[in-house]
Amino acid sequence: MRQVLRSAFLLAVLIVLHVIILQRAATESKRLPAVRESGILIPVPVLIISSLEYKGFVSDLLFIKALIFRGSSYERKDVPRITPDEWQWFNGILIASTTLDPYFIDPYYLANAHMTWEAGMVRETNELLEKGTTYRDWDWLLPFYAGFNSFFFLHDNEKAVELLSKSSERPGPREQLLSLAARLAYTDKKTENAIIFLAAILEKTEDRELRIQYMTRIHALQARLLLEKGVASYKKKHGRYPTVLQDLVKTGIITEIPKDPYGGNFTVDPQGRVESSSDFQLMIRQR
Amino acid sequence: MIRRLWPLALITFREGTRNRAFYGISLIALVLMGASFFISGLIMRDVGKAAVDMALSTVSFAGLLLVLFVSIDLMAKDLDKRTIYMVLARPISRRQYIVGKFFGISLLIAVTVLLLSVFAAISISIIRWANPDYFSRFFWGPVMLSEVFIALSLILLSALSFLFASVVSTSFLTLVLTIISYLIGQSLTSVKALVEAPQASGITISPVTLKLVQAAYYLFPNLSLFDIKIYAAHGLAIPSSFIVWTLLYGLVYIILSITVAAHLFAKKEFP
Repeated sequence: MRQVLRSAFLLAVLIVLHVIILQRAATESKRLPAVRESGILIPVPVLIISSLEYKGFVSDLLFIKALIFRGSSYERKDVPRITPDEWQWFNGILIASTTLDPYFIDPYYLANAHMTWEAGMVRETNELLEKGTTYRDWDWLLPFYAGFNSFFFLHDNEKAVELLSKSSERPGPREQLLSLAARLAYTDKKTENAIIFLAAILEKTEDRELRIQYMTRIHALQARLLLEKGVASYKKKHGRYPTVLQDLVKTGIITEIPKDPYGGNFTVDPQGRVESSSDFQLMIRQR
Repeated sequence: MIRRLWPLALITFREGTRNRAFYGISLIALVLMGASFFISGLIMRDVGKAAVDMALSTVSFAGLLLVLFVSIDLMAKDLDKRTIYMVLARPISRRQYIVGKFFGISLLIAVTVLLLSVFAAISISIIRWANPDYFSRFFWGPVMLSEVFIALSLILLSALSFLFASVVSTSFLTLVLTIISYLIGQSLTSVKALVEAPQASGITISPVTLKLVQAAYYLFPNLSLFDIKIYAAHGLAIPSSFIVWTLLYGLVYIILSITVAAHLFAKKEFP
């Protein structure tokens, strides 16, 4: 009996010691020189050879690594929250993931969701999307995303129409894609087209965080569209563009100036173009 | 012939299932299958693909452990512990001994892969039931084919370990040589592609290295041929001509390895 009690006592002490020491060691480990995980990028050929027969699985892990990095960056207070170097790393990880398994849609999807508006890496995103379009030859979404990027960021309507036509040849909402392509080819209504495009992207987005981002973008563009229409009807009435947007309210064309959901102020330039001080994407980077 | 070999094959199979490492490997497989729920939960769209990746990777990884730690042990134990004399005293030739033993181990690998595949199917089905929308390109056919290929590549690796065991004298050396062959076999295609077009990745390759790799390509088994997990995971079409030629390649390499192993074993002098 005494033997059992002694053993139990010893065990209890050891367990308590274990917990205390582990906590202490974990705290002390934080004093080690910081290693930025995002600095490490294994060269792709090395990765291909070393992943042996587990390429698909390693591709999943790399994607999850990028996803977790993106998620954890929301807790940062730095401005900008993610540095250009880190975005380069992010792009590198997604390139590696899609080299190991070029049919895997998630890395393309993640790149499109974050690397355009926030990182301004539109060309890099479209390179990834084009790779995905080649491999996933049944998927209409990837050329569709690339089409939006060409139209909205790169101001290349011709390329956008080409990508949308490619997208419409694949099983999907054919009519919707073709009419969008026609709009891009024949009308110059940039904001309106962008809203239609984004609404179609929103329809295909399920992730809650991403949906909120797309909805905010649509709201911002809707506000700008309202002001653009106001400016146009002011021009029609007075033969010149308003000097400030407040003129639209004064003349009763609109009741109030809508708010930019990104926190900027809308202004009108002498050529009648409506812009926001937030630039719509800049605020996301700083928020 | 078969009547003589069958008892030895059966004994080898039973011995394998009694090996403690066998239970450890099953446990690892179960843990990995469990992890696949967690991993596929982190995937945004291609949940089905990630579930199949994880399940098939578990099957092949657990199978590899089986070859390395159970099948080599089964083959080498007789040599290490000198129980080989007792076996050879029976009315069975050395060549028959090798072939019988190999049949037993092949049976063990096949049954284990089948069992692991059942677990894989269960884990895929559960994930599919929870995320039915993300399985539009999922088909059982390619998944099962991939499992057959995994089994074949493991049997091939095991045949190669027989060849090593009949040359070297300790099971440890056999293990090391088998691991090296596995690593080379899995990466040969990628390495060959790399050294044959080095400018694509901005490296320079000496002509000697190039010749060495090309020689190794025909010497070592090309295990990456049997790796069709990615195609299975995405439900991509696999041409039947590829299936036939790969199966044939596997069979020829196995027969070749076992023939050489049996020959060397017959000539081997025991200490």
